[in-house]
Order: sequence, then structure tokens, then C-alpha cells
Amino acid sequence: MILKTKQLSKSFGGLKAINKVDFELPKNEIRGIIGPNGSGKSTFFNLVSGIYDSDPGSYIEFDGHDITFTPPHEIASYGLSRTFQLLRLYQDMTVIDNVMSGYHTRVPYKFFDAVIGRKKIWDQERAIKEEMMELLSFVGLADYAELNASELSGGQRRLLVLARAIAMKPKLLMLDEPAAGLSPVNVDNLMKIIMQLKEKYGLTLIIIEHILKVVMDTCNSVTVFDHGQKIAEGTPAQVKDDNAVIEAYLGKKMDDEEMRKALAV
Amino acid sequence: MEKFKILIRNYPFIAFIIAFCILALVPSVIFTDVYQSHLATLIFVNIVVAAGLNIVKGFCGQVTVGHVGLFAVGSYTAGTLFLYLGLGFWVTLPIAIIVTAFFGVAMGIPSFRLEGPYLALATLGGGEAIRLFIENGNFFRSTFGISDIPTPSLMGYNFDSPDRYYFISMTIMIIAVYFSFSILRSGVGRAFMSIREDPICAAAAGINVKKYKILAFILSAMFAGAAGAVYAHMPPGYIHPNNYTVIEMVTFLAMVVLGGLGHIWGGIIGAIVITIVYDLTRPLYKYQLLIFGLTIVLTILFMPKGLGGFIDRYFLEKRFKKKTGTEKTT
Repeated sequence: MILKTKQLSKSFGGLKAINKVDFELPKNEIRGIIGPNGSGKSTFFNLVSGIYDSDPGSYIEFDGHDITFTPPHEIASYGLSRTFQLLRLYQDMTVIDNVMSGYHTRVPYKFFDAVIGRKKIWDQERAIKEEMMELLSFVGLADYAELNASELSGGQRRLLVLARAIAMKPKLLMLDEPAAGLSPVNVDNLMKIIMQLKEKYGLTLIIIEHILKVVMDTCNSVTVFDHGQKIAEGTPAQVKDDNAVIEAYLGKKMDDEEMRKALAV
Repeated sequence: MEKFKILIRNYPFIAFIIAFCILALVPSVIFTDVYQSHLATLIFVNIVVAAGLNIVKGFCGQVTVGHVGLFAVGSYTAGTLFLYLGLGFWVTLPIAIIVTAFFGVAMGIPSFRLEGPYLALATLGGGEAIRLFIENGNFFRSTFGISDIPTPSLMGYNFDSPDRYYFISMTIMIIAVYFSFSILRSGVGRAFMSIREDPICAAAAGINVKKYKILAFILSAMFAGAAGAVYAHMPPGYIHPNNYTVIEMVTFLAMVVLGGLGHIWGGIIGAIVITIVYDLTRPLYKYQLLIFGLTIVLTILFMPKGLGGFIDRYFLEKRFKKKTGTEKTT
């Protein structure tokens, strides 16, 4: 198990955004998370990556570390990387700087060496830059490396955010709606790149996605959230036919008798 | 030429040694009177302060308006050490840097919770508090100022006139700029920039936001402290609380903004331009503040990345065109 949560809860005032979720994820799996808007998917991500503190009684374990109350930068240093729904691109930095800042946890030299500006620093910086340029050309952004990130198109931004999250060579990559707002062709392209990256780096993936085709085609297993609770889990085929899931998305299934009663009142 | 470029890339300090040699020749070749040396020293002091301010404001994105307070701390540490203990420049400089670093920590702590204009207000309060404390304390000679702070001497040679002190200020400036370059071009500079752009995402990418924020404040405070000590020992060796008002702060800000916020050369270009313009427009002193305020507003409106960014952009577009054969217009 690379990620495990027990009784994970988070409430904002009276609203229980996440309510006692037990979640387990084995290594090398691609897990999809689906659910209606406001069902707590993004909150779940924020709790796991440490951006929100979870309520007392929760327990999160990542790769053998108890990360329940660990600050986000330490969680990242254990090898958990994530993207954001609203991208959070570093707009005023160049594309290559964006990706290189994702490398931060792996930077080998110490601060003091950087102040003195020793030769080995510049060698290492060049090595990092070369590696990141390779990554950029892998996602197809090498030509834009020196432009500002704000000058990229929507699809390119999605790719850049993905590259930035990969740069730290994570063990677990959590993607928050990676394909939102992309055209069908671009979605296919993006999913292809994600699958290639998974093979290349041996990633475990969690993907939040509203495009069900993506989830059904690529994920090994799917977890469904509704009102902060986990309502179903299983293979895509199992989840598709689950009554609780259909209810959450489409409403309750009624037989004729019930329908008549409901309409009469 | 290619070989030379690789040499500079591996050992950047060689470029700084060359710059040192060129600048060392300037007084005897170009300058015609002592006043120009004095002006050059002022430029160097301003470069050090502006380079420090660029770290915290331009790169780390923490809006601080109390930086002149840290500059004052540097000056008055040097001044009071001389006044009560009779210490010379070589001792007061490192002590001033260390003391100012501690004040930098104090100035930086509000940045954990405050952002943007609120942080500006908090730091403005901090800077003004330092000045008022100095102005009203007899320990610091209040409004009389501290006078006759001696110039440094090295192996019997006394740097006692502006054209000699030029070499001290220039050396400090070269060292400070070297440090700022190597910090900002390494991963630390990138961490600062990502905090400026998006602290939450920076934290998720493994950057300890609080640590780097306070680090930026400490570094910039050390620059201000060094500049303050150099300023205090500058002939005629006189410091007064009125040299550290909000007006000076606006001047420093104008330097960084005009030179380019978050551009590695930003503070340096700005300090040179503003100090020279400031000196040339002395007869119009009534309108100086108006002009500097206007400069800041117009630069932010029409050249948001300052002169440095403007020049960069020109070369970048050229390179992009050469590489892809297309025009990139934004």
C-alpha cells in the first residue's frame, strides 16, 4: 500500500467535506476518483498533500510515513506530487524555470555552496536543466522553454503543469482534473503522455476526472465520492453498475408504484 | 571567445574580477573631480541596497516598505560601535551585517501571515519605528546625528577622501553583487520565484515556504546592513535619522521597479539610473518625489518588468524567431 487513509475527516464549520473515508491504494495502480461537484474529491487531495490539516482522529499514511500532520513540503519530499484544478502555474516565470522549480526536492547542493557559487553548482544546474529540457521535449514544449508560462495556450499549460509535477520524480502522482477544458483530440494526446510517463517513471496515479471515458478507459480501479463519503469502489465495470453511484449521479431508480405515489403527492 | 565564455560559465567570479579591474581604472581615467567619486560611492551603496531589496521584493514577492529601516540599523550599528567602543570599519562592517540580519528576521516574521498591501503596512510600521526610535534616543545622539565616523585604513593606507573611499565601496559592491547573482541563479532563486508566484503550489512542490521567506528577508537585510555600514563610514562620516525616511524608501523602491522587479540586474540598473538622475535634478528638489512616484507608476503600467525585462524581451523575441521562424506576439 503506497497510500492509506483511515477515518479521514475534514469539516468546514458545520459542513463535513470529507467524512470518515478509508482509502487504500496499492503500488503501480491507476486509481480514478469520480463524484458529483462538491463531493469532496479535491478536498481529499488537499488533505493528503497536506495543504489542509485533517480533523483529529484521521490517519494518513504514505509510503510508510505517517503524514497526518506533516507540512506539505515534507510530504512532497517523501515523493508525493500533485497538480491543481486551477493549474497554479507560475505565470511570470519562464517555462523551463517552471519545470526546474518542480525539481526542488531533488536539488543536490546545499544553500551555502550556492552562495559561494562554486563550480560544481553550475555543473549540477546545467545537468538539471538538460534533464528538464528532455522532459519538456517529451511533453512537446521544448520550443517554448524560454517563453513566459503565461504565453502558453490552455492545452500547453496543462502539459506544463504535468511536467512540473513529474520533475520531482514522484512515487505517487495525484492529478486533479488533468483534462478539464481540453478538446477530445487533446484529451487522448494528454492521456497517452500520462500513460507513457507512468511507464517511464514507474508512477502510481490518482486521477480526478469528470470525463468518464478517460476514467473508464485508463483506470484499473475507481473510487466514487458523494457528500464527502466513499460510496463505491471497484473496477470501472463494477462501479458503472453500482446502484449507489447511479443514484448519486442520476437520482434514485423508482419502480412504477413508487413513481405513482411520488407524483400523486 | 568560445573558450572564454565557457571559462566564465564555470567560474563566474572571473567576470567579477574583470569588472573590479575596469571599475578600479574608472576614477583615474574618467573622473575629473572628487565629487564624481563621491557620487560613484553613493551609487555603489544604492546598488547594494537595491540588490538586496530585489531579492525580497522582486524575487520572493514580499512587499516590504521597511527596508530603509534595516539600512538605518546597519548605519547606526556601525555608528554606535564607533561612538562607544571606538571600533573601526573592519570590525563594524561584519557586526552591522549580523545585527541587521536579526532585524531582518523580525521584519520577515509578519510575512508568514500577511500578504501584499497588508505586509507593506506592517513593514512600513517597522521601518518607521526604527527611525523614530533612533531619532528619540539619546543613546543614538537623537537628532544631532553621529559625526566624525572614521574612514577605514588598510596596512597604513587611509581611505580618507571620496576618491580613495571609492575603492572600499566598489569592493563591497562587487562582492555583494556576486553573492546576489550566485544565490538568485541557483535553485534558491527559483524557490524564491515560485513563492512569489504561488505559495501553495510551491509548498506542494516541496519548497519550505516559511523558511525561504525568512531566508529572503535575512539575505536582503544583510545587504542593507553592509550598505548601511559603508554609508556610515563614507567621508565625511556623518549619519542622521533624516537620511532614513520614507522618502529614501520610495527612492529605493523606484530603483528596483525601474530596473526590473525580479530581474537579476534589476536593482543594479535602477540604482545607477536613479542615483544619477537624482543628482542631476537636485535644482528641482521640490518636484523630485513627484517624479519618482510618477516613475514607479508609469514603469509598472508600461514596462512591468522594468528596464531589465524590456531588454531581455527584445533578445528573447529575436532568439525565438530564429529558432522557430515565427513571430511571437503577445
